[in-house]
Amino acid sequence: MKKQGGIIWALIVLSLAILCISCRGKSGCSAISGEDPHMTTKGTIEVTARLVEIPEGAIFKRELYDYATILKYQVFKVHRGQIQGDTIFVGHYNPFKPRSEAPDRRVKEIGGNLRVFEAGQIHRMALQVPIEDCFMGGIVNKYFGQDTGPIYWAVWTNLAKE
Amino acid sequence: MRRPRIVDVVVTVGFVLALCSAGAIQTFIELCRGQRLQALDIFRQKPSAANVRAYEKNLEDFSWVSQKLRHRMQYLQYVMLNDAGEKALPGLDGWMFYKPGVEYLVAGGRAITKAKVGPDPLAAIAEFQDELALRGIRLLVVPVPNKESVYPEKLTSRAANLHGIRSGQTSDLLDRLSLAGVETVDLFAEFAQAKQRQTNPADGPLYLVQDSHWSPSGVAVAARAVVSRLLNRGWIGLGSVSYDTKLAPVQRIGDVLRMLQVPEIEQTASPESISCLQVIHPDSGMPYRDDPESEILVIGDSFLRIYETDEPESAGLIAHLAKELKRPLTSLVSDGGASTLVRQELYRRPALLKNKRVVIWEFVERDIEFGAEGWQIIPLPPVPSGTVEKSSGENGP
Amino acid sequence: MVFSSYIFLFYFLPLVLLIYYALPWLIRSLGKSEDILSRSRNGFLLVMSYVFYGWWNPWFILLMLLVTTVNYLCGKMMAAPGASPRRRFVGVTLAVAISLGTLGFFKYFMFFQTNLNQMLSWVGVEGLPVLQIILPMGISFYTFHALSYSIDVFRRQAPPVRSFADFACYISLYPQLVAGPIIRYNTVADQLVQRTHTWDKFASGVSLFILGLSKKVLLANPIGGIADAAFNAHSLQASDAWFGVTAYAFQIYFDFSGYSDMAVGLGRMIGFEFMKNFDSPYLADGITDFWRRWHISLSTFLRDYLYIPLGGNRKGPRRTYLNLTIVMLLGGLWHGANWTFIAWGAYHGLLLAFERYLGKESIYHRLPRPGRIGITFVLILFSWVLFRSPTLGDAGHYLGGMLGLVGGDGHPVLVAAQLYGRGQWILMALGAGILLSPFRAHDWSRTVTWPKALALVPALVLAVMAMCSQAFNPFLYFQF
Repeated sequence: MKKQGGIIWALIVLSLAILCISCRGKSGCSAISGEDPHMTTKGTIEVTARLVEIPEGAIFKRELYDYATILKYQVFKVHRGQIQGDTIFVGHYNPFKPRSEAPDRRVKEIGGNLRVFEAGQIHRMALQVPIEDCFMGGIVNKYFGQDTGPIYWAVWTNLAKE
Repeated sequence: MRRPRIVDVVVTVGFVLALCSAGAIQTFIELCRGQRLQALDIFRQKPSAANVRAYEKNLEDFSWVSQKLRHRMQYLQYVMLNDAGEKALPGLDGWMFYKPGVEYLVAGGRAITKAKVGPDPLAAIAEFQDELALRGIRLLVVPVPNKESVYPEKLTSRAANLHGIRSGQTSDLLDRLSLAGVETVDLFAEFAQAKQRQTNPADGPLYLVQDSHWSPSGVAVAARAVVSRLLNRGWIGLGSVSYDTKLAPVQRIGDVLRMLQVPEIEQTASPESISCLQVIHPDSGMPYRDDPESEILVIGDSFLRIYETDEPESAGLIAHLAKELKRPLTSLVSDGGASTLVRQELYRRPALLKNKRVVIWEFVERDIEFGAEGWQIIPLPPVPSGTVEKSSGENGP
Repeated sequence: MVFSSYIFLFYFLPLVLLIYYALPWLIRSLGKSEDILSRSRNGFLLVMSYVFYGWWNPWFILLMLLVTTVNYLCGKMMAAPGASPRRRFVGVTLAVAISLGTLGFFKYFMFFQTNLNQMLSWVGVEGLPVLQIILPMGISFYTFHALSYSIDVFRRQAPPVRSFADFACYISLYPQLVAGPIIRYNTVADQLVQRTHTWDKFASGVSLFILGLSKKVLLANPIGGIADAAFNAHSLQASDAWFGVTAYAFQIYFDFSGYSDMAVGLGRMIGFEFMKNFDSPYLADGITDFWRRWHISLSTFLRDYLYIPLGGNRKGPRRTYLNLTIVMLLGGLWHGANWTFIAWGAYHGLLLAFERYLGKESIYHRLPRPGRIGITFVLILFSWVLFRSPTLGDAGHYLGGMLGLVGGDGHPVLVAAQLYGRGQWILMALGAGILLSPFRAHDWSRTVTWPKALALVPALVLAVMAMCSQAFNPFLYFQF
């Protein structure tokens, strides 16, 4: 009886250990800051920012066409280049896909380690501006008319921590 | 207590192991890749209804097991049941159709009256025309028929005697546009006539077999019809550039097939051979290129993009319009976004309206109901400083 | 959460089963006495059932908790030692009033307001603003579960529950929480205290669950596509309309009976035995027979808790006909706050009353059995048009299509492309074959043999593959 109890407790401890490891994710500074060689070399601007929200219907799976979706960010830190204001609007190509799987024949130079867009996440992004110079397809912009500033184009997007 | 039967034990244990397998495999993969365990994301966020929905969706979408099984089942369904999933409809003789286009014709506007979609297309188009008129710019609207409107007989044998149909909803919009003074090109009639004229099977159909878009023949018919209208109305005259054309064959797997995202289906399908006519400059032999200073702006969706920026390039509607008009054009394309997105983009690019006398607005018929972001009223961009607006009488017929 | 979803099948269910069956070991390892085992298992099922339910919207849990608490307290009031008849009557009245009041508010208030505004507009009075109320998932089912407890305790047909946790577990038990079968308290009271867990019971639960899952994802969902195409079309040829409504008849049967099979199967896996909810309903040879075979848990519930209290057939023929019609009208209304459901209930009520008038036999009872089955099926098809259509106007339009009376703006020839593909014919033929065969999943799964086990493997594999390739497709009865 005692032996069975011991096995169960051992299993519980093992599960908790896995949970702790997995919650920690990739160890090291780069995983926390979202910095990597692509991030520091691509685009002309580099920021760390919080994804404020995901508007209803903004992210959807492609059928016939590929779209970029504009998302709203609150910028914490500008690592490279210059931006206008603390709140910026960034276009992500086919955001229903993990960033590493997003590049295709038409949009080649994008990527990152972000798998899923969730409101409240912190992203480190390498950006270009304006989006019109980088992307020629359909742009789903739920913020149209709310802001007159430039729209940025996300080249590289990594998950980061504050 | 009765001794358990082996079959009951096997079924029970086998079932529980099968249930545990997907989670175990996913955990193993994520640990090997050094990723955080996605299953535990539920503990990292507030348990709101939206977060829970997103968590569930992500868990399935990114599951290795789910991804592997999804492809195989779709392929199995396609091969055994001729079922191409929720967005594609196999027709006759290998033809593929985009299901929302069929639904648009079948529903006859029922969906649009029930669902709370954006404003009426007429309001958005009329407003756009009015704003353009204030700047002395004419608007020509070009609704492109759905593939199934032109080739219903390739969809079902029951339509064998039909050589084109027109949705009541589309007719209604065209009539109302006409009443509102909006100039439109009726490609339905043009395509019907072109089909009747086509006696040689080698001419090929006006639409691609595996794709939702038109063929080079369809492009040519549309280009002639649009140019003929512009010239008849006297909105613009012929230019002075005599473009030439050269044959540019391409191989293309249709977008309806690619949309299925089942590699096994794409691998078994043979690409369609398409004989495009690339528009080139007579002197340099270089492919046609847009001119931002042109007096004509063409806006629209992927019907403008195909063969134009897609391979072979400069062989789509824009290039052929330019060839017929003997002058380069300015263009703005937004895939699947001709109802609203393309005008939003125009708003962000005020320079595109510089020097313009005519805007040609192309959209596919099904967008009347299903256009991305509906039919919002989008203002024209402010006139860039230093630009002088033309008076509305400047380019009269 | 939906049974036929990835998260339920591969995360929720294995987690529940593993912990549920690990509880005895955990209790022993903690040195606790085994008499708390049944309580701890019920407590665990309660927690997991709340997670299952809260998955839709965590706030809905509070409403279910309210209905649970009210009925529990009223049960206590009625079952108190020496409780007077008056006290017992007050208890059951309170329970019924609050439960039905909650159901009425969340399910019917908007319907009432909308219709009131419509009537006001007829007399030229401006309508009132309509309060937008979200319908909590499964409220019709758990309200009936709660009511059955209070009424059974009032009638002394069941003992009062051992603890609040047991009662809350009964109300929220995840297999039957959202879409039934409607489990009456007196049929599971003993199982809540003591139930057996055996390999053969678990295996039979597995087999029934797999059959139910297969019905849902391999038949109901794809056949539903055929029905949707027909019902969404603006104009139909008569043959298309008949084909479409037949597809809907197949869809709703495979969907709902599939759900019920899964629910009963899941119950067996954790030691419960729930009632059979379907018994080859499309083989019924009359409407009375149909209601003995379709949604049996609802029809018997309505019989015992509504028809018999109204007087049943004890007050003369006329009153019997009236009672039948009232019960079916309310049964229709129970399905949803829409005139289509009321019309559906009235249609069935009138057919039942007419058959009662003929001595519980149909007017066509002299025909050979296949003829009786065929005519009954056609009568049922007309009722499914009412059930499926969003409004009475749509139902009339569709019925007109079946009778070849209406045209429309759509293109009827194109509907054929969505209705008559190779896959559609195969699915409909398969569906018809199963419906007409003597196969009954509930009975088939009772004992698992090696050939059955071997047949279940491809069924599970195909069902899981189909589930992963289909879009979110909840059960039709979730809306009720």
